[in-house]
Amino acid sequence: MSTLLQVPLPTEEKTYIDKVVAERLGRPGALLGILEAAQERNRHKYLPLEMLRYIAIKTETPLSRIYSVATFYSLFNLQAQGENTICICRGTACHTRGSRNLLQGARLDLGLGLEDGEADGNEADKLLLTTPDQKFTVRTVACFGQCAMAPVVEVNHRICGHATERTVQREIATIRAGE
Amino acid sequence: MAQKKLSIRIDGQLISAEEGQTILQAAKANGKYIPTLCALDGLTPVGACRVCLVEVSGVDRLFPACTTPIQDGMSVTTNSPRLTRYRRISVELLLIERNHVCAVCVSNGHCELQSMATAFGINTVEFAYNYPKLSLDTSHPRFVLDHNRCILCTRCVRVCAELEGAHVWDLTSRGIHARIVSEMNEKWGQATSCTSCGKCVQACPTGALAEKGWAVEEMVKNLGTVTTLVHRRGVEV
Ligand code: FES
Ligand code: FES
Repeated sequence: MSTLLQVPLPTEEKTYIDKVVAERLGRPGALLGILEAAQERNRHKYLPLEMLRYIAIKTETPLSRIYSVATFYSLFNLQAQGENTICICRGTACHTRGSRNLLQGARLDLGLGLEDGEADGNEADKLLLTTPDQKFTVRTVACFGQCAMAPVVEVNHRICGHATERTVQREIATIRAGE
Repeated sequence: MAQKKLSIRIDGQLISAEEGQTILQAAKANGKYIPTLCALDGLTPVGACRVCLVEVSGVDRLFPACTTPIQDGMSVTTNSPRLTRYRRISVELLLIERNHVCAVCVSNGHCELQSMATAFGINTVEFAYNYPKLSLDTSHPRFVLDHNRCILCTRCVRVCAELEGAHVWDLTSRGIHARIVSEMNEKWGQATSCTSCGKCVQACPTGALAEKGWAVEEMVKNLGTVTTLVHRRGVEV
């Protein structure tokens, strides 16, 4: 029991997780659902390490296993996310349709600079940048499975196909105007 | 209940094997050699290294012997120019992925990857080296982890989870970024679930996990300690 008490989480968070775990445990793929629910509830849409630790204890999953699952799927974030997420596909189809320009455009529009990530050619993996005011997060995925509509950009979980730099600019402007 | 017997052919020889066995198990039981890197007796096979590829007649694609269950009437070929080529490529890909600099490795001369490369006559590689910049974890009082030598066979992960029951290790991330991690990316020395039993070190085929205090060529692994334990625990091999 002592390990449980050591996890510094607010009681209501613990109660919520306890409920979700009780509902799902034993079903196939339970861990994924539990992690997703925990992330959805988090204000910054991410899974803090204490949360992972608590879920690990509650589900009797080894810590390394839970960390492995949470880092394998690009759905899960281990860092705090901005209020709005712009997710740009860097898969092959979208790449050939110019998604690099979309990514660079979005980064410039949001004042995120172009320094990191680009140079080492790693941006197809998990690039994740958040503006200092926590309003926007720009991230990449390696294919949405919507290649026919390439290049694809996802704005707050809404898919925009055949996107251009103008589309991205307009989306950002709309979100800014709406605040 | 007695296992159902199946008849299969391995390299033309008729063999009777038990239902549920993998091709590798059936081959081993009958004294046939199939090269392996990630498979280890008594641990769940994962098919990570692709060195054990075999041909099954009537099917075009190759099958990893360690994870493919046998089927009645199956005819398996364990050696052919095509297989040698594919196995070679698998080993070459492992070699280019990290920094396998044998000359300065504690496991030089006692490394399964090195032996495999020698067995396939690999002295050059067809692909460009990756030269990733990877870290070393020396935080454990008795052991070291060198990501530069890791081939991600996950033998350490499985031996720790399945034999020791501690599950200190697992894989994080995907693809080229995949790494072995202890607990939640903790330093190994800080991992509270680690019992310092050293099974992962003995199970590691390369110099990625080693005991401290050894110089180049001095880390001789004792895989026997792991396999003896498997037998003693009555794990089906
Ligand atoms: S490559 Fe972008 S959706 Fe498939
Ligand atoms: S031994 Fe079969 S894939 Fe590694």
